[in-house]
Amino acid sequence: MAVITVERLSKRYEGGSAPAVKEVSFTVADREFMVLLGPSGCGKSTVLRMIAGLEPITAGTVSIDGRVVNDVPAKARDIAMVFQSYALYPHMSVHDNLAFGLRRRGVDKAEIDRRVRAAAAKLGLSEFLQRKPHALSGGQRQRVALGRAIVRDPKVFLFDEPLSNLDAALRVSTRNELIKQQREIGTTSIYVTHDQVEAMTMGDRICIMNLGEVVQIGRPLEVYRNPANTFVARFLGNPPMNLLKARLEARDGRTVATVAGVAVELPARMTAALASQSDRAVIAGLRPEDIYEVPPSGTSATRLPVRVVAVEPLGAETLLALTLEGSGEELVARIGRDTALRSGDRAEVALDGAQVHLFDPATTRAIV
Amino acid sequence: MQPRLAPLRRVPLAAFALFYTIVSGGPFLWVAVMSLRTTAEIFKNPYGPPSPAHWEKFTDAWDKSNYHTYFWNSVVVVTIAVVLVTVIGAMAAHCLARYRFRGSRLVRFLILSGLVLPPQLLILALFQILLDIHLYNTLTGLIVVYVATHIAMTVYILEGFFAQIPQDLFDAAKMDGYSDLEIFWRITMPVGAPAIFTTVTLNFIILWNEFLFAVVLLTDDDKRTLPLGIMHFMGSHQLDVGMVATGLMIAIVPVLLIYGFFSETMIKGMTAGAVR
Amino acid sequence: MSGLSRRLRGILGNAAATDARAASLGLLLMFLAPALLFYAGFAVYPVLRTFYNSFHAIRPQGVVEFVGIGNFRSILFADPTFWKAVGNTALFTVIATLVDVFGGLLLALCLFARAPSAGLLRVIWFTPVLMSYVVVGVIWVWIYDYDWGLANAILHWIGLGAYEQSWLGHPSTALWSVMGAHIWKWLGFNMIVFLAALYALPGEVLGAAELDNCGWVAKLFYIIIPMLRATIVNLLVLSFIGKMMVFDLVWIMTGGGPLWSTETVSTYVYKRAFDWNTFDLGYPSAIAVLWFVIILAFIAIMTRLLRQRDRLEF
Repeated sequence: MAVITVERLSKRYEGGSAPAVKEVSFTVADREFMVLLGPSGCGKSTVLRMIAGLEPITAGTVSIDGRVVNDVPAKARDIAMVFQSYALYPHMSVHDNLAFGLRRRGVDKAEIDRRVRAAAAKLGLSEFLQRKPHALSGGQRQRVALGRAIVRDPKVFLFDEPLSNLDAALRVSTRNELIKQQREIGTTSIYVTHDQVEAMTMGDRICIMNLGEVVQIGRPLEVYRNPANTFVARFLGNPPMNLLKARLEARDGRTVATVAGVAVELPARMTAALASQSDRAVIAGLRPEDIYEVPPSGTSATRLPVRVVAVEPLGAETLLALTLEGSGEELVARIGRDTALRSGDRAEVALDGAQVHLFDPATTRAIV
Repeated sequence: MQPRLAPLRRVPLAAFALFYTIVSGGPFLWVAVMSLRTTAEIFKNPYGPPSPAHWEKFTDAWDKSNYHTYFWNSVVVVTIAVVLVTVIGAMAAHCLARYRFRGSRLVRFLILSGLVLPPQLLILALFQILLDIHLYNTLTGLIVVYVATHIAMTVYILEGFFAQIPQDLFDAAKMDGYSDLEIFWRITMPVGAPAIFTTVTLNFIILWNEFLFAVVLLTDDDKRTLPLGIMHFMGSHQLDVGMVATGLMIAIVPVLLIYGFFSETMIKGMTAGAVR
Repeated sequence: MSGLSRRLRGILGNAAATDARAASLGLLLMFLAPALLFYAGFAVYPVLRTFYNSFHAIRPQGVVEFVGIGNFRSILFADPTFWKAVGNTALFTVIATLVDVFGGLLLALCLFARAPSAGLLRVIWFTPVLMSYVVVGVIWVWIYDYDWGLANAILHWIGLGAYEQSWLGHPSTALWSVMGAHIWKWLGFNMIVFLAALYALPGEVLGAAELDNCGWVAKLFYIIIPMLRATIVNLLVLSFIGKMMVFDLVWIMTGGGPLWSTETVSTYVYKRAFDWNTFDLGYPSAIAVLWFVIILAFIAIMTRLLRQRDRLEF
């Protein structure tokens, strides 16, 4: 049972001009799995280390269950952490790596042994207990690192990019394994990553950071559907969202967005909100999967004339690199694998106005 | 990919290799053979074979001269000095590699400046200082000097290695509840074992062979270390070449034995300071 | 008050217990004090005392008399033995350093070119490095012996008996003979360091050179030596320092004789301090100080001249 609250947390390094972390605030509920997502250098690891007690806090507070722990040393916070490099003690066996943290806490020997064996069994490490870390595979090392956190039975788990040293296939299976373990144990967790797939699949909620600040917090699909600004729009999703110059114009008493000279019908909820804002420049965001070669039936499709620059068949689907005929802007579309389009073709692609996102060009924030 | 020479060119290469092997190894073989022959035999034919082999010369050298004293003095001085310099140097290296603090650059510069201090600049004053504090002509005094003069190299090698130990490991230990001192003993020392082994080897060889400090700071015969002892032995057995050769072998064999088992470690240790 | 205590905490490094890389003053002292005490007491203090000595005449019964730069003036302008020692040391340093470093490179290339059983040869060739100067000195005294030494025996065998001589007994050959022994001891060291550097060279570059139709010799001079430049400079400096201070081997083999023909600066310092019964530690201290300054100056010049401006990326 643990709730972590981070309030206006800031970090400024000595000699650094800009703060590395600026007034970050969020709350992680009990048993919740929160993902801190952002590009490298965005301050997410620093936030994690401040919560862990490995980094002094410049301003703001970290509290666990309502108690401010700013001045509590790391070892007294009852937090376990899984490091990116795993940080296994290379001179100790797996058993001793798992037991090391317990020996210090006055847990008696029999209990240590029981817990180590239980954790090893749970993670499929029982037969490796006497091995040294260098004799383990990457995946096994990762599980030892996880096991070291589990045996402690702490209030909070912290994960610092724990999967980034694994190869692609192992990353997927370990990801699922890790979620399964966390759901079973139910310990409140904070997970730092720069990988948006990990964030989308693992997090109960995602907290997206950029340049030391929190940009958006929410459930994965909610954030994906309603990115708060163009940064989030581009950061989540692969290939990233297309951002096109557009204008809001009033036509026949309704507000439409013109992209490269083509008027795109906006959904009713938008037009209502935008009624007073016609005739201004905006950025129109369009996800690659929302661009169609053949519009799905029952939608009000708008057609955009384009030239095909490149065709990348990925197998299950095909990516098209396109330029808009009207403006020359580039965009990427993700369409079915059976397309007949070839590089150099002129064509028309369809899009659904209901799936267009609008951003303010000055602030990059989402409109509506 | 290494250059591979045509077979024809390999012949001079092999010939040169053989030549230098004889140049570098031959003298030791010669001494080894002489150590088993009497001086009379040697003067009759300096390069003859050791037949009959006079093994008893080794017990003679060991018993009749003060050789066992020299040998044990060296063992005591070198062992204590190496243990001290390793522990003290590792503590300083750990501190410099691990913690950020005001003045750390100054402390590092101060200690590492010892790398360029030639012994000749210290030796005269050390002679005075040890006289002042009554450690002149004592093994303790020699140990103290050995530790002080080999801290710089030890810290230099160890700090370079310790700094490469990932910070994560120390963070993990900290979260596991270990104090700074325990982290030094239980993480830095065992994880840094290869580097520590290297410095131990390096210091051991250098101190085992050390001559200048010993010759200035020790005078009594029963305090002499092995290099001084051999010098003395040679001085008093000037014409007894066979006996001196036996004495030399007693000094050479332990080094060769250790080298036989740990050649890679010793090579790495001796060159540790030079390979960037 | 709080400002002051924060400043103090900053200075003492006593940041919050939450900084993984901060330590309290007590902790720092515990780790550093032993090293600093030994170092200050028996390395820094002796150096300072040597500098102090160099400006004084130190007579028996602890009588110390300030003489200003008198010692230095005598050394530089009225001490022919010193200049003899400087000449010998300079010759020794230049020749032995060059032969040691480039001879070591030659040996390393020999093994790098896959001489048969290179692994074993490497171990054998390194053996002299591990031996004490006393062992090396005694062995080479015998090799140079007039009556039954190896050097004369070999000359005799190959029909150059006319060149047989007392190598260490003659002023014209003694210095070169000692130099030979010194080079023999240290060649293996330079070889090992070069060998490590050679194996660290990127194989692709050597392969590319081969495709560019570079022969073995061209590859050595255009590719390998330029890429080893940093190592060569390191070893030159290291070897230079060692040779400028040369003492043990000279002391053991010739004691500086005959007729000062092998006297080096270091043996001269030792003699002036302990052998001449002048009981003046001031004068030899002044020589040691002067020589140290000269060595430092040479190191600075060598690194300035030889070190390349930018590191090679590979």
